[in-house]
Amino acid sequence: MIEVSGLTKRFRDRTAVLDLSFSIGRGEVVGLLGPNGAGKTTTLRLLTGYLPATSGTVRVAGFDVFEEPRQARRHIGYLPEVPPLYDAMTVRRQLRFAAELKGLGRALLPAEVDRVAGLTGVTEVLDRLTSNLSKGFRQRVGIAQALVGDPDVLVLDEPTVGLDPIQIREVRDLVRTLGGRHTVILSSHLLPEVAMTCSKVLVLNAGRLVDFDTLDGLIARHLPGRKVTLDDIAFLEEIFGKLVTPA
Amino acid sequence: MRTTLAILRKELSVYFTTPVAWVVLVVVAFFSAQVFAGSLDGFRLLTTRAGEIPGGAALLDRVNLTDAVVARLFGSVGLFLVVTTPFLSMRLVAEERRTGTFELLMTAPIRPVEIVAGKYLASLVVLAAALLLVALFPAFLSVAGRGAQGGGAIEWPTVAAGLLGLFLLGAAALAVGLAFSALAGTPVVAALLSLLVLLGLWLAGLFTVGAGGAARNLAAGLSASEHLAPFLQGRIALPDVLYYLSLCALGLFVAERAVEGRRWA
Repeated sequence: MIEVSGLTKRFRDRTAVLDLSFSIGRGEVVGLLGPNGAGKTTTLRLLTGYLPATSGTVRVAGFDVFEEPRQARRHIGYLPEVPPLYDAMTVRRQLRFAAELKGLGRALLPAEVDRVAGLTGVTEVLDRLTSNLSKGFRQRVGIAQALVGDPDVLVLDEPTVGLDPIQIREVRDLVRTLGGRHTVILSSHLLPEVAMTCSKVLVLNAGRLVDFDTLDGLIARHLPGRKVTLDDIAFLEEIFGKLVTPA
Repeated sequence: MRTTLAILRKELSVYFTTPVAWVVLVVVAFFSAQVFAGSLDGFRLLTTRAGEIPGGAALLDRVNLTDAVVARLFGSVGLFLVVTTPFLSMRLVAEERRTGTFELLMTAPIRPVEIVAGKYLASLVVLAAALLLVALFPAFLSVAGRGAQGGGAIEWPTVAAGLLGLFLLGAAALAVGLAFSALAGTPVVAALLSLLVLLGLWLAGLFTVGAGGAARNLAAGLSASEHLAPFLQGRIALPDVLYYLSLCALGLFVAERAVEGRRWA
């Protein structure tokens, strides 16, 4: 569903992402893990075509995001780091606008707004202004907005940042339910989050891909001989430490 | 096309749910009313005194309400447009960049030209609303001034030409403003830069005074006010229309490039 090859992004004086290659199959939920400044947001922006690559290609649902941006973007739902909401709009108007941008016909709009609002639990705030929402609701409206048009691929940049523990759990549960129907790639620097929601983990450090495997695979390779349950998330911290600060 | 309309509707709802459009409409209406009342008073004085001086009646044959009141009003409205349009155009792109909603637009399956077109058309709607208010003044005169001494009639073709000129001026100003909104980092910077450029173009006419030859022609050619004057006298000339249309085209071209280029930063 997502195929990345040789992806490199240089800004004027620094290389943010260097020679990334990976592919993600349909219905997988993949965590993009890395310390701050590792290039997570840049990578996601490249995947959505918001930033052009210096070199390399990204194909989403078979379309090159740089060569055929409009076709590719029809298959992508994107939640940026800061949920892109218009202060002067109600949640309903916001979701409707997002659906219109996706090219949905007018007749389909009300039903689609209700559908994504139901999925993300924002039905009760549909008629409130987005500027009056709590951070948790803003985040959920952002996710609802990404779900509009039922895209194959969801790109979520730090979906739980700034939320309280209960909200974090709600968003996690939501993301888990999205897998299967959608291919999800989400970034995080929170290890428990990735351990609990993702089937595979991409580890990024200083713009390079340092590992890409299932959780079981990571455990088998980095903590050989150790018996770890997925409920005990400390193991991931240990692996993460090994990967991003090699001795 | 459908997405352009979606952006147009969204921008209009932002214009009218925030104070921006209302403030611009009120400012234009208020200052127009001042100028209108002043010009009308001047005209009244002229007509009452005309009879007292030799040859006054002949003078009255050569002025009427359209020239003495409406053209003067429209000339001032030109300046109001130059001053207020930067506030209509300033947030169109810059605000989206500031708040991060730009990322929503630029990752949607739409082209930059559709974004620019939707935003520009929305600002033209507000401009048209402002000019509709301004058109109420001659409409009022044509009713109240019927049978006034010395040619009370409103010459509607002249008024229409004037409104067309003002619309072209406003459209050019909004295109320039949109370009700055797409280039600048914040709405305030966008407004200041477009105000600077537009006032420069408006006042370029001043440099025709006392200048000669090529310098005069250049100043007159660049001046937004010089190109408006023929419209106010009822003359629609191709060079003047082309002047404003090329400003529109230039502004929109730069805006589209800048929006597209935002992703290449």
